Amino acid sequence: MKILSPLDSADEVDKLAAAGADEFYCGLLEEQWYERYPVISINRRPAGKGHFKDFKTLKDAVAKAHDAGTPVYFTINEHYYVREQYPLIIRYIEGACEAGIDAFIVSDVGLMAFLRSHGYSVPLHISTGGTVFNWRSVAFYRDLGAVNITLPRHLTIEEIKDIVNTAPPVAMTVFILNSRCINVDGFCTFQHGLARRDILPMFRNACMLPFDITLHDAKQTAQQLSYADEARIIERQRVWEKVHVDDYPCGACALYEFQTIGIGSVKIVGRGNPIERKITDVRFLKELLNVLEHEQPSRKAFRKKARQTYTETYKRPCRIALCYYPSVMLDEG
Amino acid sequence: MEQALFISKPDTAHYLTEDFTRLYYGQEFCERLLPDETQLKEVLSFAQEHRLEITFVTPYVTNRGLAHLERLFGLLSEKKPDIEVVFNDWGVLHLLRTSFPEAQPVLGRLLNKMKRGPRIMNIYEKMPQASQEYFRRSSLDVPEVGAFLLQHGINRVEFDNLLQGISFEGADSRIRKSLYLPFAFVSTTRFCLTANCDDPGYAERIGIFPCGRECQRYTFHLFNPVMTVPLIRKGNTIFFLNERIPESVARHEVDRIVVQPEIPV
Repeated sequence: MKILSPLDSADEVDKLAAAGADEFYCGLLEEQWYERYPVISINRRPAGKGHFKDFKTLKDAVAKAHDAGTPVYFTINEHYYVREQYPLIIRYIEGACEAGIDAFIVSDVGLMAFLRSHGYSVPLHISTGGTVFNWRSVAFYRDLGAVNITLPRHLTIEEIKDIVNTAPPVAMTVFILNSRCINVDGFCTFQHGLARRDILPMFRNACMLPFDITLHDAKQTAQQLSYADEARIIERQRVWEKVHVDDYPCGACALYEFQTIGIGSVKIVGRGNPIERKITDVRFLKELLNVLEHEQPSRKAFRKKARQTYTETYKRPCRIALCYYPSVMLDEG
Repeated sequence: MEQALFISKPDTAHYLTEDFTRLYYGQEFCERLLPDETQLKEVLSFAQEHRLEITFVTPYVTNRGLAHLERLFGLLSEKKPDIEVVFNDWGVLHLLRTSFPEAQPVLGRLLNKMKRGPRIMNIYEKMPQASQEYFRRSSLDVPEVGAFLLQHGINRVEFDNLLQGISFEGADSRIRKSLYLPFAFVSTTRFCLTANCDDPGYAERIGIFPCGRECQRYTFHLFNPVMTVPLIRKGNTIFFLNERIPESVARHEVDRIVVQPEIPV
């Protein structure tokens, strides 16, 4: 099982490869794009950090990564593009090809159709925005030329296993660390990063804003609710105000199952994170994968090790709200 | 202009008036709410009795939901093999194309990825023209997209009624367009916060768990000043209400209005 790490600059390549990264993914945004689309990204990351700034530095990074034997995947994975954007998109496609990237990560079927009809032969990886919840979606994208699919966050371990067992052979990537989004990425039409970080209500993810919430049009059962029950039900709706989606969410306990299932890669979210954090994340997973490979622990022993390593690494306990695959916390295994 | 009534439950068919010539029935957001064969037969009979064309609406699905849909499509293929089916999952299109090729696939509004979040309205007028255009347009203005849809037997796309408006300029005229009124979806999840919301044991639990269909009992309104309209959480999905009829209707750029008298969850 490979570790798919974010990459934001050429300087990060050697450090992350040494920490254990097996694959990199990255994005790029130039000033030219910002001028026309200041709040619209080409790659699901808002303006600011987390992007290569030009194709020269991308090319340098790809060359270094290849020297280390590590492929680099390039994100052009916004959910949709309109015709007017295509001259710029073509520039990104050509520039990334020239830089030597190993695959495009995409989610827009229109872009896939464009790439196919214009003869680009770079392998396609389907972003989580492709919303693959079943084996036939895998078959659909495979028919379009996909060789790798990142499954949505919103699948249980059992559902992932079922897809892998029934789908045609395509490499699968699953989320393992950071940004446990509440909504299905590919079906979320909120726009992130609408302002600078200091204008918090516009910058922050919409799902995490503080809302005044009322229970509306309650049917019979709800009408009989006590004040306390109603307050509790409403409080439940506020859970993402209290739990930050980036407060070190983790799915490492499930590495045990993913290895058995035959998952190809585990993805660390984190374009834009400081290099120290990226290294910590990669090392954390590498240590656990080494345990799986060399010690062949029981499931119970592995989970104990994963939780202990998480607590030691991130200085916090495991919490079910931030567990990518919460069945591992409910099942004592 | 064709007018369709969208219901998600047989017992809401009472909204039918003589304005409607088509009935939309089904679920877009949760496979657990898909009808069983009995309910589907009931609605098919109702449509036949009232001489309504019918469109069956489907959600994104896991393998389990896919198997359930295959059974329902089997029933539909016996009763009405050329039925129109709205799909919101490319795997469902794959199922239709490989096993039920007579069905007429329609690209659902979840796969029409235009941005709906109301926050953009705070800055919309200040954005560069190119950005404003992006938010009002869909990818249907990309020539390869229309060709791709037609190649896959899709000649209709569903649109929500966006606060920033919709521009069909340059959109492939071979593809027909439907407009949903008055509820627009914004976002959906399988980490449903309505599920088990009245069970204290689930207070901190966020994930995919069995539920008691609490979505059929509770609806939430969410207010924040930065949202220019209230958000409505019904089940696993967030919506807003927009009753303003867009100019595109008067210009006949859409040829079907899909009316949701209730949020179809």
